[in-house]
Amino acid sequence: MGAKSVIYADNNATTAVAPDVVEAMLPYLRDRYFNPSSMYDPADAVARDLAAARRDVAALVGAKPAELFFTSCATESNNWAIFGAARATPSRRHLVTTAVEHPAVLEVCRQMARDGYDVTFLPVDREGRLDAADFVRALRPDTLLVTVMHANNETGSVFPVGELARIAKETDPAIVVHTDATQSAGKLPLDLAGELKHVDLLSFSGHKLHAPKGVGALYVRRGTPLKPYLLGGHQESGRRGGTENVPHIAGFAAACRLAREHLAEAGRIADLRDRLERSVRANVPFVEVNGAGAPRLPNTLNLACHFIEGESILYQLNAHGICASSGSACTSGSLEPSHVLRAMKVPFTAVHGSVRFSFSRYTTGAEVDRIAEVFPRIVHQLRRLSPYWDMARNAPRPDAPGGSPA
Amino acid sequence: MAWEYSEKTKQLFMDAVHGKPGTHLGEVENPDGVGEHGSIVCGDALRFTFRVERHDGDPLKDVIVEARYLTFGCTSAIAASEALCALIEQRRYTPIQALKITNKDIVDYLEGLPAQKIHCSVMGAEALQSAVHNWAQRRGVDLEKLGIHLSMVGEDDGRIVCKCFSLTEPYIRRKIRELNLRTIPEITAAIKAGGACMSCHHAPGGLQDILDETWGRGGAARPARPGPAAAAGAAAPAPAAPSAAGGPSPFRVMKEIERVIAEQVRPMLRADGGDIEIVDIKEGVVYCRLAGACAGCPGAATTLKLMVERTLKEQVDEHLRVIAV
Repeated sequence: MGAKSVIYADNNATTAVAPDVVEAMLPYLRDRYFNPSSMYDPADAVARDLAAARRDVAALVGAKPAELFFTSCATESNNWAIFGAARATPSRRHLVTTAVEHPAVLEVCRQMARDGYDVTFLPVDREGRLDAADFVRALRPDTLLVTVMHANNETGSVFPVGELARIAKETDPAIVVHTDATQSAGKLPLDLAGELKHVDLLSFSGHKLHAPKGVGALYVRRGTPLKPYLLGGHQESGRRGGTENVPHIAGFAAACRLAREHLAEAGRIADLRDRLERSVRANVPFVEVNGAGAPRLPNTLNLACHFIEGESILYQLNAHGICASSGSACTSGSLEPSHVLRAMKVPFTAVHGSVRFSFSRYTTGAEVDRIAEVFPRIVHQLRRLSPYWDMARNAPRPDAPGGSPA
Repeated sequence: MAWEYSEKTKQLFMDAVHGKPGTHLGEVENPDGVGEHGSIVCGDALRFTFRVERHDGDPLKDVIVEARYLTFGCTSAIAASEALCALIEQRRYTPIQALKITNKDIVDYLEGLPAQKIHCSVMGAEALQSAVHNWAQRRGVDLEKLGIHLSMVGEDDGRIVCKCFSLTEPYIRRKIRELNLRTIPEITAAIKAGGACMSCHHAPGGLQDILDETWGRGGAARPARPGPAAAAGAAAPAPAAPSAAGGPSPFRVMKEIERVIAEQVRPMLRADGGDIEIVDIKEGVVYCRLAGACAGCPGAATTLKLMVERTLKEQVDEHLRVIAV
């Protein structure tokens, strides 16, 4: 294989740190190491920089700076939102979420269930869409929290969180509405003063938008009942203990400034994605484009190839220097394929053969064309090995299983 | 990469995928033995075929000269299939001798497999057994008479323990003994049982029970179990608030709402090419969806709020609220 250039198409997993972000961080790793809480001028200057960073990050989501709290990652933000809301209102015992949340929400909700809460996991349809009627029927007088992700990490499906939040709040203003916006922040315009004005809590992180790993944020609308999650300090207005990670927060702020400037590029990225999607549909038989029938993030393409297995596809892509990911069981650490694709009832002949390409503003047309060139060959090669595929007809064997989902 | 494979595993996979001469991808034409193991539902499956050089007098002296596979699965499943075929062809085994090949031989040939991938080698050994069984039937060889008991025969009919991967009790029992599996994680790594929903781990007659029966209680310490899962069983608190004392029953209110919408609201909307659908009625809230021409109308929410809510307040109950869905 030798030296090869890397085509990075796994931006829903993490992103390259932007060069300007690195520059913005360096002063705080060198001379400006002071604790922003300390009582001397150099520390005060850092505290002012921290305040400026908070404004920049808040601006990306249309929030007031005082409503934005820094965390270590979106997983922490999600844990804080759910556990913190539950502890603030112990009389309410019911949560509403979806079957396709990221584990950082799903596992917290499952823990709530183990702790005696009732949790409704809303289903999705074949295109990955939620039904607002299911949502309405799930709401109860003791509903504590609604937590619905803004965009799905695997398929890119975008949920109508603003609408669901309005319905929840009109039903009962005491219901707390949380959304995990980790995948949409920086990719879609988010406005907590506009479309998302009924959302109380919103999580996102830096490393999905070209900041480094290790920094995130939780937006907490003023007046939302929420107990702290990380105790042990007066930082973040007493709501999240721990000395502020100033270098990363400075990087996060720079990344958010850049993300706002680049939001207009979403169309270009969507064009690249659509180009790859068209090419795959034209050149690969028996392929599903998961979530294509619903609103989707501009950068995400989730494919499922019938009768082959995703890990082998990734392995082959890797040999070509192409970085992507899969919902196959063999890549999940458990033996179960993606909970998202199973919730969407992707046919079981394809659910093991899923591949996700996710682009960023650094993705070029040449890279996408290279993927479009290599991918059909890989699928073809693997199908040659498949006991369910007839190479002569380039179609499944007549005796291959099919029909009802697993 | 998620899994650390040996160089040998990677090489075999790459050679197979690129159809390098000497690899064993495909099916033997007019095979003398056909065996299958796994299924697409489980995430991997193998179809194994072989051809023998037939001995004129004694089928027991047939020698396997060609072995081929088709595999649906991950990198290591494909490499393990390659290993199985290579082992058999290199050694010019008779089908009976080939039965001696175990999953351990396959792992050794691959120069090791990650623990979570051991099931890929087990699949190869199982498909081989099934193919030899098939050969014996074709050649009129009575394996039982030779003292060879192919354990897989008849196992499919047993009670299913692991529903996710359709694995039966006799199969799981045999593999626990053959592979000396002592814990549930070991079982999952070797044969996948219990690897998905995990509900068979501690269920009555589940994996832990089978382990205990096989090895005795002390064979592997039983992990501490938390109380029964609360998710489904938790009592739903706070039933719907009863209607105000002395008021009409909730059922009557609901019927009234439906009547007013059917008789007064819907005709008005239909006049404009629209329609209305009641999604749910509960806790004094009527959840509605505007359909038809109204659905895309920017004034839809206002229409619902003003017109529908006012009508219902006047006609049914002044406390009713309408929410657009």
